[in-house]
Amino acid sequence: MEWGAYLVFLLQSGLGGLASYLAAHVLLCLLPAFFIAGGLSALVPKDAITRLLGRNAPKVIAYPSAAMAGSVLAVCSCTIVPLFAGIYSKGAGLGPAITFLFFAPAGNILALAYTGVALGGDFALARVVLSLTFGIGIGLIMALIFSRDDQAHAEAADTGFVGGEGLTSRTVLFLVLMVGLLVFGTLQVRLLLNSYASFTIPVDGLDRAQDFLFRLVPFDAAKGEEGVSVQGAILIGLLLLIGFSAWRGLGRVHEGYNRWTWVSLGLIGLTLLVAAVRIEPRARGLDVAISGKAFGVLLTMSVLAFMARKYFDAYEIQQWLWETWRFVRQIFPLLVVGVFAVGIIRQLIRPEWVQAVAGANTIFGNLAGVVFGVFMYFPTLVEVPIAKMFLSLGMHPGPLIAYLMADPELSLQSILITASIIGRIKAWTYVGWVALFSMISGLLYGQWMDGASPVILTTCLAGFLIVLTGSLYAIGRRKEAVVRGVEVKEVGRG
Amino acid sequence: MKIQVAGPGCPRCQMTEKNVFDACAELNLAADISHITDRKQIQELGVWTTPAVIVDGKIVVSGRIPSVPELKKFFADTGKAS
Repeated sequence: MEWGAYLVFLLQSGLGGLASYLAAHVLLCLLPAFFIAGGLSALVPKDAITRLLGRNAPKVIAYPSAAMAGSVLAVCSCTIVPLFAGIYSKGAGLGPAITFLFFAPAGNILALAYTGVALGGDFALARVVLSLTFGIGIGLIMALIFSRDDQAHAEAADTGFVGGEGLTSRTVLFLVLMVGLLVFGTLQVRLLLNSYASFTIPVDGLDRAQDFLFRLVPFDAAKGEEGVSVQGAILIGLLLLIGFSAWRGLGRVHEGYNRWTWVSLGLIGLTLLVAAVRIEPRARGLDVAISGKAFGVLLTMSVLAFMARKYFDAYEIQQWLWETWRFVRQIFPLLVVGVFAVGIIRQLIRPEWVQAVAGANTIFGNLAGVVFGVFMYFPTLVEVPIAKMFLSLGMHPGPLIAYLMADPELSLQSILITASIIGRIKAWTYVGWVALFSMISGLLYGQWMDGASPVILTTCLAGFLIVLTGSLYAIGRRKEAVVRGVEVKEVGRG
Repeated sequence: MKIQVAGPGCPRCQMTEKNVFDACAELNLAADISHITDRKQIQELGVWTTPAVIVDGKIVVSGRIPSVPELKKFFADTGKAS
């Protein structure tokens, strides 16, 4: 092929990837997810959770709370670092801090929603369950290996706690409703997919428009690519309008509501509705079918709007919208560039290469997934389209999970930051454990996908964890006894 | 009165600082306001979640952006106590 034509082909496939992503997946999952992230950041008092991570918190509370802090508070990596430093140096110590660090990138709402929609619910579930289990496991191991250091650290640290209000029920309800919106939009069940009413908008020539779109953005269904439908084109148009109005409306919402705020909120509502109905272009016009999904979305949005007016004051809502916009502005451009780049790179990688390295669920394949994850640094969420690309190129789900576990947790950049807080030896020990555990997760998940009995796998996993915990507990007891002999410990702990 | 705003320079911290300045202006308060961006120093103050506002060494807000009326209340309370 000629160079110029090849270049055009590459650009076209990048744009095609981008267009089909925006049209198909992003809307009903990422739009609500950004609002949830904004809500978590603006409305949830952080003290409510960090209080559970104090120096004296028992392990049973500290580790799960650390994981919860990871999923609730740390929506983007800029909050992870100070919070990690806080938990480590002033709070529950190295173990829970590591659990927090490990779980945050996989357990937050944006990553979860996106993984679920782009790769499938089973991947999202596997990501959460595996990173929760192993996050706590690695935390415990690290705490044990460096227990002497941690003890010394506890002496130096003091608890600087602010008493604050806890979570209020209106905030919880508000967030739960937004999660409901996300679920209504993405869940593929009969009740939601059935159409209950339909009407036709008479516009001529839309079937030709559809043909034109398919020719403009060529796709190959066999490779798992998707074209852009008329509905998709409408949605992309709406997204652009939202981007423009939100820039002026939501970006300045902290100075007060303006006309653009209402315009952008209205557009967002409209977009979610358009994405929820089913639109089929015909020769005579546009068939619009109202599915159960559209009812669900409309109902939840109305309740949310009502709650926002009635139970929250203007300042809180302003904060919420501002934070949401901030996340969008921070993450979305990188995601767009990432998806575009993935669309191009996809054409350059031969499926045989991927299949040769990680086409089967082998130790080598999983290791390759981990190594790729460590040495590549992708911005938040971009790991998902990349994973999807690998999946469609023939990567086995096992190594894919290994990659998904390792990539957000470990990058050279995050390793260096972590090292500056907890020290180089601890940081590299952590890296070693993460690599090992990511590989094990990949192997287990791959086995499961290959049809190994879940009972046997669960037994293996449980057995492995029991042996691990057992030995940790035994070593811990011995160490504690040694420490106790040296210094008098706090009363009331044993 | 000594008011410190702690935060690594993120947009949320800048907004907090702006609100602090506004609150002081509205109260006609001559306070010593500083913005701490150094991670080590922030840690030493006992702050976990930024942005945080510290009045005379006491953390009054942490992990969120306080509103101007709220800040005015904190400043007025501390003013009375001392």
